[in-house]
Amino acid sequence: MHPGAPGGGRQASGGEFQSPALERLVRSLQQLPGLGRKSATRIALHLLANHEDAAQLTTAVDDARRQVTRCGRCGAITESDPCAICTNPGRDASLLCVVASPVDILPFEKAAFFRGRYFVLGRLLSPLDGVRAEDLPFDRLRARIDEDEVREVILALDTSVEGETTALYVQRLLAGRAIHLSRLATGIPVGGALAYTDEATLQRAFQHRTGVEGG
Amino acid sequence: MRILTARLTGFRNLADGDYEFSPGVNLLIGSNGQGKTNLLEALNFAAFGRSHRGARSEELIRFTDQHLHVSLAVDQASGVRQDHEFGLDREGGRRFRIDGQLVTRRADLVGRLATVFFRPESVELVRDGPEARRRFADQSLASLDSGYLAALMAYQRALRQKGRLLADVRRGARREADAARELAAWNADLAVHAVPIGRRRGEWSSLLAPYADAIYQDLAGSPAPLEFQWRPRLQAFAPARLASATDEELAADILAEFDYIRPMELRRGRPLAGLQFDDFLVRLGERDLRVFGSQGETRTAAISLVLAQSDVVFRQRRVRPVLFLDDIFSELDRERARRLQERSARNHQVFIATARADDVAGWEPDPARRWLVEDGRLTALP
Ligand SMILES: Nc1ncnc2c1ncn2[C@@H]1O[C@H](COP(=O)(O)OP(=O)(O)OP(=O)(O)O)[C@@H](O)[C@H]1O
Ligand SMILES: [Mg+2]
Ligand SMILES: [Zn+2]
Repeated sequence: MHPGAPGGGRQASGGEFQSPALERLVRSLQQLPGLGRKSATRIALHLLANHEDAAQLTTAVDDARRQVTRCGRCGAITESDPCAICTNPGRDASLLCVVASPVDILPFEKAAFFRGRYFVLGRLLSPLDGVRAEDLPFDRLRARIDEDEVREVILALDTSVEGETTALYVQRLLAGRAIHLSRLATGIPVGGALAYTDEATLQRAFQHRTGVEGG
Repeated sequence: MRILTARLTGFRNLADGDYEFSPGVNLLIGSNGQGKTNLLEALNFAAFGRSHRGARSEELIRFTDQHLHVSLAVDQASGVRQDHEFGLDREGGRRFRIDGQLVTRRADLVGRLATVFFRPESVELVRDGPEARRRFADQSLASLDSGYLAALMAYQRALRQKGRLLADVRRGARREADAARELAAWNADLAVHAVPIGRRRGEWSSLLAPYADAIYQDLAGSPAPLEFQWRPRLQAFAPARLASATDEELAADILAEFDYIRPMELRRGRPLAGLQFDDFLVRLGERDLRVFGSQGETRTAAISLVLAQSDVVFRQRRVRPVLFLDDIFSELDRERARRLQERSARNHQVFIATARADDVAGWEPDPARRWLVEDGRLTALP
């Protein structure tokens, strides 16, 4: 092999630790989203050198796994089911904001201008990833709309094509019902994810949400 | 727009170091495989944040290196200096800077460094299938307008999703009844993105056409005009309808076409209507050059179309793009080659790469520089 052939260089900076235990730790850190070999190694070495940090991390992971659950009504991440937003009588149950992921609730709550409740779809339609309409909680969404006598549904999905199409699907799903359906107006960058949108942009998008016809 | 200097490190086989170019004509002469195209690729990369020949970032990094870095000093038309910089590494890291400012979205690169690239394959633009002409249109439009690229990427993604859904139904993985509403939603999304793409393809082709004809006349002289027309497959984009309808009306028309063809799509398991079937007609008088053009005619027409992009850029932005002409003279007769040289040197900075010194022998443009390209190194020729 040519000493500098593609891939050759990557080996040079890689290589394995002599300790299989450390190697396992690095590998399992590497499994985490967004962590490459380099950062995984840095974190592993840090944890080995700082026992307290390591212990804290272990406890935090255990606690979170035990206590965190999903709200059965809206799908938010919570420690009490139903969640505080769903049980708060001060929030307008007839106003429902549909989001893709529980993380997408956070910017709305942080900006604190929305007085309604949420519904988390969990995923977006994507045949390429094997996500079908049957895999999304549309039955629960309809039931929720009926039970709470929802008047207005705001579709706050990403501007990715999967987000757009899922919104179009919900529009069709709810067509013919006496509810006002709206989508967040532009302002969220194309291809942008909701959770990374700043508050000002979000509020502007919210105020300028556009009504859409079901159909 | 003119690239005054370049500093290269780790780019393919090109020698690391500083390169200084003529603001006029730059001739790169060298045998096959010496690095001529590599240099054009390095200089053009900053324009789109990608290789003109579709190479992956990894392939651009010298075999023996871990990363590459390129910085260009560019003279904008107004005499304003702009520094373009990019770095790529083997881990997939990419960094672009303009005047030291980090540019994170590819869309924000669009239009900052205007270039027109003629690749050896471009000569087949007229004789190749419709796909080559669509790619030409898409690249040209994307370089003029970052909104086009965004719409096109969304359309293509939605099209792949719809294709998978249809295939799933066809092979029995999904029930048609379950998939129907989903299909309608994908169609609606496709229709929405198709409208701006269609409008711009139409505007762009009618803008480009007269410039291409003028260049063709200049290079070849022909009693019949060169015509270039967008031939959309969707009925909604028929010229009369396109001119009078609103975006919403067009999207509704397109959706109706999708609905009409749906049973057939379900049977075949793939999309059968849309922008992905567009073509562009290239005609000399009454004669369709795609089918009935001679070698020389189709090549001259292809060159005219590519160069006409410079006029479109100039018209929209009042700057002349940098021209990269890679092996453009092959199989042009002497007279056409000479006229092409004169024409491209006018108003432009141009980089011309050729393996045959003969092609440019006796041509003495001013200002100009000539180099021999050998094993990734440039040696100035008298
Ligand atoms: N990542 C890389 N690292 C080092 N050398 C490379 C790399 N990629 C390509 N090369 C070398 O660059 C050379 C090709 O250069 P280039 O394509 O610029 O040739 P050219 O001068 O345009 O030739 P032609 O006249 O045939 O078009 C090949 O010899 C190839 O080995
Ligand atoms: Mg070449
Ligand atoms: Zn809840």
